[in-house]
Amino acid sequence: MRKALFLLIAALAPAQAFAANQVALDNNVFVERVTTDAAGKQRVLLEEPKVVVPGDRLVFVLNYRNAGAQPADKFVITNPMPSAVRFAGAGDTPPLVSVDGGKMWGQLADLTVPMADGTRRPAQPADVTHVRWAFQKPIPAGATGKLIFRGVVK
Amino acid sequence: MTSKLTYVGAIGMTAIALIAASPAYAAGTTAGTTITNNVTVDYQVGGVAQGQQTASNSFVVDRKINLLVEEVGSVTTEVVPGQSNAVTTFQLTNTSNEVLDFALTASQIAGGTAAHGGTDSFDVSNVRIYRDNISSGTVGSFDAADTLVTYIDELATDTPIRLFVVADVPAGLSTGAVAGVQLRATAREGGASGTQGAAITQTAGANTAAKDTVFADVAGVNDANRDASHSAADDYTVKTATLTVTKTSRVVDDPFNGTTNPKLIPGATVEYCILVANAAGGASATSVAINDSVPTQLTYVAGSARVNGTVTAGTCNTDGVAAGTNYAAPVVSGTVATVAAGDTRTLLFRATVN
Repeated sequence: MRKALFLLIAALAPAQAFAANQVALDNNVFVERVTTDAAGKQRVLLEEPKVVVPGDRLVFVLNYRNAGAQPADKFVITNPMPSAVRFAGAGDTPPLVSVDGGKMWGQLADLTVPMADGTRRPAQPADVTHVRWAFQKPIPAGATGKLIFRGVVK
Repeated sequence: MTSKLTYVGAIGMTAIALIAASPAYAAGTTAGTTITNNVTVDYQVGGVAQGQQTASNSFVVDRKINLLVEEVGSVTTEVVPGQSNAVTTFQLTNTSNEVLDFALTASQIAGGTAAHGGTDSFDVSNVRIYRDNISSGTVGSFDAADTLVTYIDELATDTPIRLFVVADVPAGLSTGAVAGVQLRATAREGGASGTQGAAITQTAGANTAAKDTVFADVAGVNDANRDASHSAADDYTVKTATLTVTKTSRVVDDPFNGTTNPKLIPGATVEYCILVANAAGGASATSVAINDSVPTQLTYVAGSARVNGTVTAGTCNTDGVAAGTNYAAPVVSGTVATVAAGDTRTLLFRATVN
């Protein structure tokens, strides 16, 4: 899982406007296990997803790196929630979320979900369909970053 | 289960997005489902939009074996001695993330405290397990439409089914006797309809490339934690009528004193009262037939019999009815329709001393 590979789309680039190999992206999933030791202390372990059953907590870790020579601007990372995973919060960098398949974006607290009777209720984490980080500032050349969010196997 | 990273270019992206077909979520994601997470990056360099970057990660959901056996109703089943087909009711739910077979075992406890606090004191016989028929007969109750089973075939996830443990009660038991029964279900491999699947074993040691198996069940009354089994208990409690019969007599009249301090001399009238008492806490006794032979030294007073009367402070009241009584020398008889638990009813008649 530690392989950090570059994404190659060189063959698809029609002209030099595309600076190939510009951004490296790495997507990892871990299972979060909480164990209680003899002293009653809780320890959180992140394991590779070897044995995964419904109800397990997952941590999705997205590593990015601007491998190019120029800053990358309008940097937007989008992650649709896998259909069998329920969103369960994000890390220190709160993402924008969508609860309608990626049409509208916002903080979870600001979004609503239509009800059968025409009213709208506040969105819950389980309603999240997409997670997105949109960076305001360019990512300088060579800069790296890590984004995480949590989910639960349905 | 495998965990792998896949890197694809922008074009391959649309194809991968739809890999995970909509899984059934009832008891959780179906075992064997691949969960694929895709992430994309859009960005610009020097104001020019660059090709979208994607990264993808997949893993397979393993098999979680879980089940729940519950007693339905949380009250004891009241039975009478000699009763056939006494029913206790249970419910089985497959909370695994796969369709499975379930082996069933009904057992009895030997002594000890039964499910509802009584002490187990007898065993029922001819113990069978029936599965409720949800399309005919009385749904939710034991009836002729239900099926005798030893295992449950291909039980869908999160759909509780009702099971009846049916047994016969021996004769000669007294009120308060308790028989504890337990029902255990054990998950078996599903997939082959019409036959009971093989036993399931937990995947030992390291993760395998295939779908692994994890036992997630809790301990029941006669099984352990994480053993692919669960069990629950119920009990039968005997509730019968316990009748005691008492006969009293008093002289009510003699030819000389009349009804004032009458004496037992020839020609005196004696009133006999037969009391049938049913002990409190049991069941009602019905069709209670009382017979009494009039002693040869006495002559029955025709038409004096009264049945179903009451008692006040040990003295019979004359509130019975003539209907239901009969005299066929020398036997006076009467039938009380019902003697409720804790109640006393009487047969009253008079006879004269010869």
